[in-house]
Amino acid sequence: MTTTLTPPEEKSSEAVPPQRAKPKLPFKYRLSRWDVKASPYVYIAPFFILFGLVGLFPLGYTFVVSLNKWNLLTGPGGFVGLSNYVAELNDPFFWNSLFNTVSIFLLSAVPQLIIAVVIAAVLDQNIRGKTFWRMSVLIPYVVTPVAVTLIFSSAFDEKYGAINNLLQFFHLNPIMWKTETFPSHIAIATMVNWRWTGYNALILLAAMQAVPRDIYESAALDGAGAIRRFFSMTLPSIRPTMIFVIITATVGGLQIFTEPKLFNPTTATPGGPQRQYQTTVLYLWDLAFNRQNFGKASAVAWLLFLIIVLFGLLNFLISRRIASTEARSSKRKTAKRLAAYNQNKIS
Amino acid sequence: MKISRRTKGAAALAGIAAFALIATGCSSGGSSASSSGSSTDPITLNVTTFGTMGYDDLYKQYEQLHPNITINATIIDTGDNAKTDWQTKEAAGAGLPDVQAVEEGWLSAVMQVSDQFNDLSQYGANDIKDRWVPWKLAQATDAKGRIIGYGSDIGPEGICYNSKDFAAAGLPTDRDAVAALFGGDSATWADYFTIGQQYKAATGKAFYDQSGFLWNAMVNQLKEGYYKTDGTLNVEGNAQLEALWTQLSSATASGLSANQTAWDWGKGKAFTDGSFSTFVCPGWMLGVVKGQVTSAGGDATSGWDFANVFPGGAANWGGSFLTVPTQSKHPQEAADLAAFLTNAQSQAAAFGVAGTFPSVTAAQSDPAVTGTNDLSTFFNNAPLGTILAARAKGVVAQYKGPDDSVIQSQVFGPAIQEIDSGKADGATAWNDAITLLNQLVVNK
Amino acid sequence: MTTLTLKKRKPLGIDRRPGFLTYGLLIVFFIGGTYPLYWSFIAGSSPSSVLTETWPPLLPGGLFWQNVGQVIDTVPFWMSLLNSVIVSTVITISVVLFSTLAGYSFAKLKFRGREGLLVFVIATLAVPTQLGIIPLFMVMKQFGWTGTLGAVIIPTLVTAFGVFFMRQYLVDVIPEELIEAARVDGANMISTFWHVGIPAARPAMAILGLFTFMTAWTDYLWPLLVVPQNPTLQVALSQLQSAKYVDYSIVLAGAVLATIPLLILFILAGRQLVSGIMAGAVKG
Repeated sequence: MTTTLTPPEEKSSEAVPPQRAKPKLPFKYRLSRWDVKASPYVYIAPFFILFGLVGLFPLGYTFVVSLNKWNLLTGPGGFVGLSNYVAELNDPFFWNSLFNTVSIFLLSAVPQLIIAVVIAAVLDQNIRGKTFWRMSVLIPYVVTPVAVTLIFSSAFDEKYGAINNLLQFFHLNPIMWKTETFPSHIAIATMVNWRWTGYNALILLAAMQAVPRDIYESAALDGAGAIRRFFSMTLPSIRPTMIFVIITATVGGLQIFTEPKLFNPTTATPGGPQRQYQTTVLYLWDLAFNRQNFGKASAVAWLLFLIIVLFGLLNFLISRRIASTEARSSKRKTAKRLAAYNQNKIS
Repeated sequence: MKISRRTKGAAALAGIAAFALIATGCSSGGSSASSSGSSTDPITLNVTTFGTMGYDDLYKQYEQLHPNITINATIIDTGDNAKTDWQTKEAAGAGLPDVQAVEEGWLSAVMQVSDQFNDLSQYGANDIKDRWVPWKLAQATDAKGRIIGYGSDIGPEGICYNSKDFAAAGLPTDRDAVAALFGGDSATWADYFTIGQQYKAATGKAFYDQSGFLWNAMVNQLKEGYYKTDGTLNVEGNAQLEALWTQLSSATASGLSANQTAWDWGKGKAFTDGSFSTFVCPGWMLGVVKGQVTSAGGDATSGWDFANVFPGGAANWGGSFLTVPTQSKHPQEAADLAAFLTNAQSQAAAFGVAGTFPSVTAAQSDPAVTGTNDLSTFFNNAPLGTILAARAKGVVAQYKGPDDSVIQSQVFGPAIQEIDSGKADGATAWNDAITLLNQLVVNK
Repeated sequence: MTTLTLKKRKPLGIDRRPGFLTYGLLIVFFIGGTYPLYWSFIAGSSPSSVLTETWPPLLPGGLFWQNVGQVIDTVPFWMSLLNSVIVSTVITISVVLFSTLAGYSFAKLKFRGREGLLVFVIATLAVPTQLGIIPLFMVMKQFGWTGTLGAVIIPTLVTAFGVFFMRQYLVDVIPEELIEAARVDGANMISTFWHVGIPAARPAMAILGLFTFMTAWTDYLWPLLVVPQNPTLQVALSQLQSAKYVDYSIVLAGAVLATIPLLILFILAGRQLVSGIMAGAVKG
């Protein structure tokens, strides 16, 4: 049974079915063979066609635009080669935006990971109402980035904002959340952290639960306390997951836009009066839609694209190293987790 | 919200205006009545304005006059945000409203693509073009002689001051005395800063909210601002400009600026808690001040008043135009609405709500402008219209280059913030501004 | 004290019930996660002067519906809500359908070039296709689609992630024998897919659908560019902030209001969300 079905599939191209099939085989059989051969392609076709049109073609065309002078309103203005790239690589604003992006990313990734590990460790215990507590840490995730920013941007207001009011109540100096570089990065990282920590905690929780319980049992019997067990057993076993949380957070973090865009709408320069928190995607948007320079904005898009691909390669290398120490299945799971992140983290 | 804010007085004025319009059948009323009579299909006109233009009641009036028309209004907070909004939609080739308000500051950017706007001469502009002060009409006319916008307000500047704070500092509180204090017709920026020092010495508080609006005024007063009349940039090496900058930055460095965030002002609270006591007020800003004070829980008793004086002489800031983008599917109806909104009666009514000083000659002397209204009550019954008319004397339309608004907000905006927050001295901030200028405008 | 230590010592195993510290921490996390939202509700239901007070009130005020009324007055709330529902639903259906089809094909059907094409899909996972906004914007303008919901929907009709996700799920859950049995019974390819593939894929489809919906719902940059006059909920919400007379109690009432749809979804499907996130981590 199986043999009658599979061979034609595999040989399909080398075999010469038309000669044999033409006169003798009944129409139904031919149809069925055609069905078997073509169906796989038909099923993947919509994805590849659409992806080509809306995913790959625009990226390619971005490169074309980046080689031209190109105005938002008046259109193309002549081929300029790589000069947009040269200009951007020499533009302090570009580097400023990269610095801001990386800084905000670090300020969000590190505390987020630590708190997420703590939350996951707490959730990993044999608590009552597991589902309720697990769901409760995910509540911030359903508040959209726009709403998160509106909420926190009000709380972080320099004059009479909730947080500065509190600081002043305790006779501390108000912090210039919206006009100084470091505080503004903290403020934006806080928004990212608030929304994503619970989400990451659940991923880490899943990794913790994958650790066999009997290992803990025997360690406990050997007299290892809870803290000791956590540091010497739990943490090492979830390390791969943590690495992926970090790396995948980077890919999302490099494209942060909503929070800095809406953080302080009163400034004419998106990303703060001195571009204190102008991230690269926000810079790209400013270049394209405020300063009308599609050419340079496209160059920035490609530079950012290359940086993200660089991180992707880094990711690949690390996952290969982990794969050598881990079971083969974990490679798939990490790749999948990475994918899930890329999908969800772009905000 | 809008209904509760409007007062009976303003509504009555608008009602009278609308009635007078029908009764007299004045030119714009006539044209709009006849043209919309030709199409009675129900249509919706989208209108995008920014800041406070005081049109809410007029929309209602217009809808009553034209039952087939529904007006869908969008209001954006600042002219800068409105520019980004317009630019994005212009580039997208979709999403622009039927009537788009354009601010003087970015009119030149609009003029670069003036063919994207309907020539209003085809929709009745020639019948009404005498209603505006000539320079306003000239600004709205593109290089090919097409009229692409109807002038609404202009922005002659006076000084808003808080009489309670002035009293606390031992300064005069009466608006004429305050005008005299600042130097009357020969008021200079030096006078203004000197009084600021006195105020600061007496109260320990800042004198103005932030330096940006002062700088704006200083630049707008000049014969030539960021651009020379021939269209060339006029910033780097402009000794006059740099001297003004030095004057402003040293005053700010001495603590006269409250370093407030413009357009936020601590959600309006800075207007009511004595954070600063003077404020640069072009006509349209009066409505903003009232709005800020109100949202912070204040009212007419908060002490704000309006003085007929401005340091450095006559100055104009902003003012806007109503345009009809070619994206509009109902250009005739849109043009009629724009004509209605900019006729003398409408402009006078809008002034009573928002303080937008009309560019329509007849409206400037309209009793609705010169008399008391909702807004003047808020400003301690100051004769706002009369003061603004006086402030408008001697205003000249300064040439605005294509990147004028970019220079104002993105080049000098950061520099202003530097001096306000004390992060840099005037000279450093000026150099930073020049660096930004080269990056954003010269080598764009 | 004594009872506590006694309790602690008794079960040596790790499955004992944890102590107060654990629940204390859980409550802290809970408050940290929900207070900002609750605070927005307090501010959104009070006059805006509440926002400048040092200690915000503990209980909501009575102005929520009045502030909501102003939100609806300021931005086209209902239209944008409908727009977001349409956009997110269409994208979800499309992504789930095409991902399941392609994922099934990659997982269970044999064809030339399968490995290569799958590697291609995986490689594009890390490609930030949203950086192609400039040409997409130009194309949408060229076709006159800007200002329509279609312009928001089209760029995200398919995702490489969805295909990979479905493939990973299906490769394990459908036994080869099941497909063969269906084929033996004379089912053609599409009906095999329909009767064997889809039922097996259903749990993964639900999870993929949930996350796709969330992603589409929260998207801001692209809808901001292409449908300004006809906004999605996120764009309309952001417009509150730059509307005239920014009254923050209204802005925050809007933020709360706009969160309600997803909160409802969360209450209905929160378990699936949680297990989806955790499944992404352990399974496959």
